Amino acid sequence: MRSEKEKGQNPDRAPRAKEQVNGEVLKLLVEAGLTWLRTNQQIVNSLNVFPVPDGDTGTNMVLTMQAAHEEISNGNEKNFGKVAHAIAHGALMGARGNSGVILSQIWRGFARAVDNIETLDVPTFVKALASARDTAYKGVVRPVEGTILTVIKDVATAAQEALPEANDLLYLLEKIVKAADDSVQRTPELLPVLKEAGVVDSGGKGLFFILEGMLRYAKGMPLDAPTSTVMPIASMNLQRTMEIIEPGQDVEVVIDFRPYDKLDIETFYRDLEKMGTSIQLGEGDGIYRLHIHVSDGRQYEPIEYVKQVGIFTKVAMENLAAQMEQSEEKSGIAQLTLAPVEPGQIAAVAVAPGPGIARVFASLGAAAIVHGGQTMNPSTQEILSAFENLPTDKIVILPNNKNIIRTAEAAKELTVKKVAVIPSRSVPQGLAAIMHLSPHEDFNTVISEMEEALLQVETGEITRATRSVEIDGISVKEGEFIALHNGNLVASSSSLRDVTLELLRIAHADHFELITLFYGKDLTKQEANQIADEIRFAYPEQEIEVQDGGQPHYYFIISIE
Amino acid sequence: MTKEVLPLGTIYVSPRVIATIAYQAALQSYGVVGLAHKNFFNGVSQKLVKDPLHGVEVHYDGVEIRIDIYIIVEYGTRISAVASSVRDTVRYQVEKALGLPVACVNVHVRGLRISEVD
Repeated sequence: MRSEKEKGQNPDRAPRAKEQVNGEVLKLLVEAGLTWLRTNQQIVNSLNVFPVPDGDTGTNMVLTMQAAHEEISNGNEKNFGKVAHAIAHGALMGARGNSGVILSQIWRGFARAVDNIETLDVPTFVKALASARDTAYKGVVRPVEGTILTVIKDVATAAQEALPEANDLLYLLEKIVKAADDSVQRTPELLPVLKEAGVVDSGGKGLFFILEGMLRYAKGMPLDAPTSTVMPIASMNLQRTMEIIEPGQDVEVVIDFRPYDKLDIETFYRDLEKMGTSIQLGEGDGIYRLHIHVSDGRQYEPIEYVKQVGIFTKVAMENLAAQMEQSEEKSGIAQLTLAPVEPGQIAAVAVAPGPGIARVFASLGAAAIVHGGQTMNPSTQEILSAFENLPTDKIVILPNNKNIIRTAEAAKELTVKKVAVIPSRSVPQGLAAIMHLSPHEDFNTVISEMEEALLQVETGEITRATRSVEIDGISVKEGEFIALHNGNLVASSSSLRDVTLELLRIAHADHFELITLFYGKDLTKQEANQIADEIRFAYPEQEIEVQDGGQPHYYFIISIE
Repeated sequence: MTKEVLPLGTIYVSPRVIATIAYQAALQSYGVVGLAHKNFFNGVSQKLVKDPLHGVEVHYDGVEIRIDIYIIVEYGTRISAVASSVRDTVRYQVEKALGLPVACVNVHVRGLRISEVD
């Protein structure tokens, strides 16, 4: 991976020339937009409910912008128009998903308006945004408002309105970022499905992050720091911050508070960044929730600070260092016995969300395990280093999660080894595939056999809803158990037993032979067995197996075959 | 005819209903400018159809629904990405409306509309 981080952090290279921008500056701005979007990728993913709620908008937009950036990253072209055309070409070639395609059209329209332009000035910028909007709208017969389309439209309008008073590009950029932000906030009013789910539009938010990244860069602000935006409290992902604990930041503090006045988010973040890391701010119904990691002895500083801006209603503190020790003891990855690999053999790398699942993969012949799963996607580098040292050049990767397939594909591009990614979207699919691993057989034959096996298993997953939402006509309250059948939400209930049985009914478990339950780290063996007994009673013909999966978030991962 | 047998009676859903849902879903998909006629060979007709049943084929064998949809795409978009979106959106909307699983959605790109030349 390239070092966008370093570049993004370097304020010395910020384009101080505010009146005219050439191709080189555009390149840096695109890089900044991409970096900032990537920093906030998970937020964008978590908002995705339209047109299909599959949680990949952020990822798709990042991949599209990444392709655009790759097209220009190696050149030194100074001509603004030429660089813009290269970006549009890259975005087109790499467009993924609905938002990605729209994003590529935005770039296409933008590029067309700056044809043969040496350096960008204010009037051309305004014209280019209008052209971006027009091209974006041409690509669809029935534009749906309350999406990224609305956001580019509002941005173009705001640019037009600001034109008479805009002397420099930075001023204009500030105006359009503000317009994008306001437009995103209005999306639930335009698109009922967003309102129903209590979110703003994900693609629009993604476009906002790209523009805001450019602005932050122009102002010399960091791009890899925790986002200084506010998300709905319900979509705050505090679990994720557990994995990026920095040494010395031992105490987690979560404060709920009600500010006296409208909160100045930028200042708030700036002050808190002096105290600690992993800062997240959520908002809901006028209550803000602050999450921060601080070093031992400084845990009262954020509370004192919050008292200056508002009234706090609740404070929670946890000792992270102690928690980490505990979870290391519990995970027991050390005892894993991996399959030995001889040169020339096919080696399997499996991504496993929990220690129990890792052990099962190892026992079935995985040569390397990468820890990761839902909300804890491993990096390309982690996957790469898992197999780079294996003494063979034939590698199959089992991502075992829809969101990790792309990461695995990226790892494939970075190695000289022959790598095949078996697109397993769940742990059961991965297990079904690894059963067909014959390390000595022909590589292509093994791959096609493993891929075929993916279809022979049904996947069930039981987790808890992180927010109240209505999807597919199933209304779910925050904290309820929900069941996913092959990734689709099919049932919800306040009872784990009921939701599990309902899932099996919907999956037609009575047509299958074997049901394997991998229980997660939030359940004890007794609890899992109780439910397994219920299932045995309901499905006397089927064989029921219970395994300790040890995965977080998911109470059960269920394989039905 | 798609049917769902329930304890108190049977619900019948005609193919036209499914075709209409698929048609609406496709028209809202970004990059799709319209539906083409299913009975013309590839590339012969670029005329947009108004009747959902002309641009959508629905197969139901008593167990699962299969849908074929014939689209015209805006020139300059990434066709594979547009087609994947159509596939996902059509499947999602039909399943959401009917509560029955859709086994597959085949997307046939029958033509391109050029509204802007680069």
